[in-house]
Amino acid sequence: MDLSPRMFKWLFGRNSEFWPTNMKTGMWAWIGHRLTGIILVVYIFMHLSFITTASLGDGPKNFDALMAVTSQPLLVALDFLLVFVVIYHAMNGLRVVLFDVGLGIRRQKAVFWAMMAMAAVLTVVGLYFIWHLIFPGGAA
Amino acid sequence: MSEKTVATTKIAGTWPWALQRISAVALIALLGIHIFMDHFKGITEEHSGDTLITFFDVQMRLGQFIYVVIDYLLLAFVLFHGLNGTRTVLLDFDRFGKHRKALDIGLWILGVATLVWGIVILFPFIQGD
Repeated sequence: MDLSPRMFKWLFGRNSEFWPTNMKTGMWAWIGHRLTGIILVVYIFMHLSFITTASLGDGPKNFDALMAVTSQPLLVALDFLLVFVVIYHAMNGLRVVLFDVGLGIRRQKAVFWAMMAMAAVLTVVGLYFIWHLIFPGGAA
Repeated sequence: MSEKTVATTKIAGTWPWALQRISAVALIALLGIHIFMDHFKGITEEHSGDTLITFFDVQMRLGQFIYVVIDYLLLAFVLFHGLNGTRTVLLDFDRFGKHRKALDIGLWILGVATLVWGIVILFPFIQGD
C-alpha cells in the first residue's frame, strides 16, 4: 500500500471501503482502534519523558515543578481525553479478543454497542474522580 | 481490495497475534490498577488534602514493593503491545512489509532500550527512603 494518487482514490475515494457512507460499524471500530492505538504509543514516550525529570538535575524539585504545571485544569482535561482514549481502546480491544475466541461474532454489532455502553459508564466514573481537578472549587 | 485481503495471522505471524491478545487482557487489569491507584484515588487521598501529586507522594507509593512490580510489569506489557501494534499497522504498508526483518530488529531495539529507560527512571523514587 503505497499512496500514489490512484491508490489514494482506491483507498479513500467515493467508491472505496473507507468513504464514510460506505463504512459499516466494524470498519469505524477498526479505524478508531488504530487511531487510539497510535495516540497511546506516542503518549507512552511522553509519559516516560515526564517521569525522567525526577532523574535530571535537581530531581525531586524538577519533578514537582512539572507536576505543578500538569495539574492545571486545562491539562487535567487533556489528561482526561487520554483516559477516554484508553477506555475506547480497551473496550473495543476486548471485543476483538471475544471474537477471536469465537464469542459473539454473529451478533457483532450488538457486541460493539454493548462495549461502547460499558465505555460510556467507565468514562462517567472517571470523570467523577477527576471533576474536582478540572473545575476546582466548582459544583460537586 | 478483497482479493488482496489476507488474514492478519498470515502477515504478522501467529505468535505476535496471540501475544497481542494475551498482553491486551493483562493490560486491562494492570492499567486499570495503575490509572486508578496512581493517578486518581490513592495518591491524592493519602496526600494532605492537596490534589497536587509530588515526588514525595510517588516515593511513598513506590516504597510498597507491590507497586514497583505492577509498574514494571505494566511497562513491559505496554511496550510489547504498543510496538507489536505499531508493527501490525506498518506491515499494512508494502514498503515496510518488504523489509519485515529490518522492521522487527528496529522495533526490538527500540523496545529493549525503552524498557531499560523506563526501569532506570523509577530508581530515584524507589531508592530515596
